Amino acid sequence: MICDRIREQIPECLAGRLDPAAREKVIDHLDTCSACRADMAELGVVWRGLQSMPELEPSPAMRTRFMETLAAYQEGYQEAQRRQVYAAPPKRWWVGLWPAHPAWQAAFSAVLLLAGVMGGRYLAEPRPVNTINPELAQMRGQIENLRQLVTLSMLQQDSPSARLRGVTYSYQVTQPDQQVEQALLHAVNHDSNVNVRLSAVDALAKFGNNPEVRRAMIDSLPVQDSPLVQIALVDLLVQFNAKDALPALRKLAEDKEANESVRQRAASSVQKLEASH
Amino acid sequence: MQEVRAGNVGKLETLFDRYNRPLFRYFMHLTGNRAASEDLVQEVFFRILKYRHTYQAETSFRAWMYQIGRNVYMDQAGKRKGEVAMPEDAGEFGSSDTLQDRQVQNKQEAVLLRRALAALPREKREVLVMSRFQDLKYDEIAAVLKCEVGTVKVRVYRALRELGTRFFELGGERAS
Repeated sequence: MICDRIREQIPECLAGRLDPAAREKVIDHLDTCSACRADMAELGVVWRGLQSMPELEPSPAMRTRFMETLAAYQEGYQEAQRRQVYAAPPKRWWVGLWPAHPAWQAAFSAVLLLAGVMGGRYLAEPRPVNTINPELAQMRGQIENLRQLVTLSMLQQDSPSARLRGVTYSYQVTQPDQQVEQALLHAVNHDSNVNVRLSAVDALAKFGNNPEVRRAMIDSLPVQDSPLVQIALVDLLVQFNAKDALPALRKLAEDKEANESVRQRAASSVQKLEASH
Repeated sequence: MQEVRAGNVGKLETLFDRYNRPLFRYFMHLTGNRAASEDLVQEVFFRILKYRHTYQAETSFRAWMYQIGRNVYMDQAGKRKGEVAMPEDAGEFGSSDTLQDRQVQNKQEAVLLRRALAALPREKREVLVMSRFQDLKYDEIAAVLKCEVGTVKVRVYRALRELGTRFFELGGERAS
């Protein structure tokens, strides 16, 4: 029992955190107990060994990322505060409208009461509050920014599965962002893994309103070496109803070196786009 | 932290500069993975920002921060069930310039110790790391783990004891 209590104090003793009286007690016990003495010796070796283990430093990029996040947060917070709608101070313009005669005052009050009752009926339904919660807006901006950062970071990973996750993550970016868009286009054109390219094509569907994205996809058609990716691009262009893709699609449909399935899909897409006039 | 809590969020930079390294090392000991540890540090500071209103001035900021850190780690660990925190870069600690200057035997011992630490159950490794590397006092660890100081005392000893046993087993010898 005494040994248990003494041994529980060994880490503090080794760390030099025991007060002198407690330390004295431990030393006294060690003088008389060889088992605890052996325990202290063993744990002392381990404790000092831990001390000699070198500590790693985080990469400088970690601080950069933090500062970007903090700046985005501050920006969102300030923006939300600027937009906050404050109640305007009451004006006294109505004072002059108040009649002086008591009879008119009573009539005016009755009219106001009636108007209040009638107005209340129409206004009884709940309406959206015309104020912006600064904290909520700030958090939304922050989360959006983080999503973009995560997406961009994952799309640059060495591992194809990480890049795939990055593409999937891009679906959560609700605000169209040029950097994310460019990163996805880069993945479509240059990623070494066909699955990543295919996923990136799908992810670009949400950027269909952007003519630059459509143009980049059209340009990508002839340079893709994977028929699967080509077909995915063709389908997406039809989905966008991208008539400016017609020349490229006709060319692909007639390209003898292209994959048979790709040629057929391109030809049917040309028909669909032409029919949609 | 009180200034951050009051809305001067720019002051978080000072706290980041002061605590990012120890926090990163805490996560390194738990995950053995540099990239994951850096992500976890980011998440901790983001949560500090998000939940700054819940900070109480009379409590230790370090304990509060590690409490958040622990929650963040547990959340991540929950998502990666089945993964064991092993040092993917076991040699990384041993490759620093400081260690290269030492004797081969010391190097081997450091590697063995790191392996033994990584092999400890998470609860034991965590309490030992907080006590030994983060230099947290027992009352701070008790606040993080939400337990009594006496419990922390017992846990630290048992963790150190098990680390010792594993270390000497790996080395094929016992001191004494």
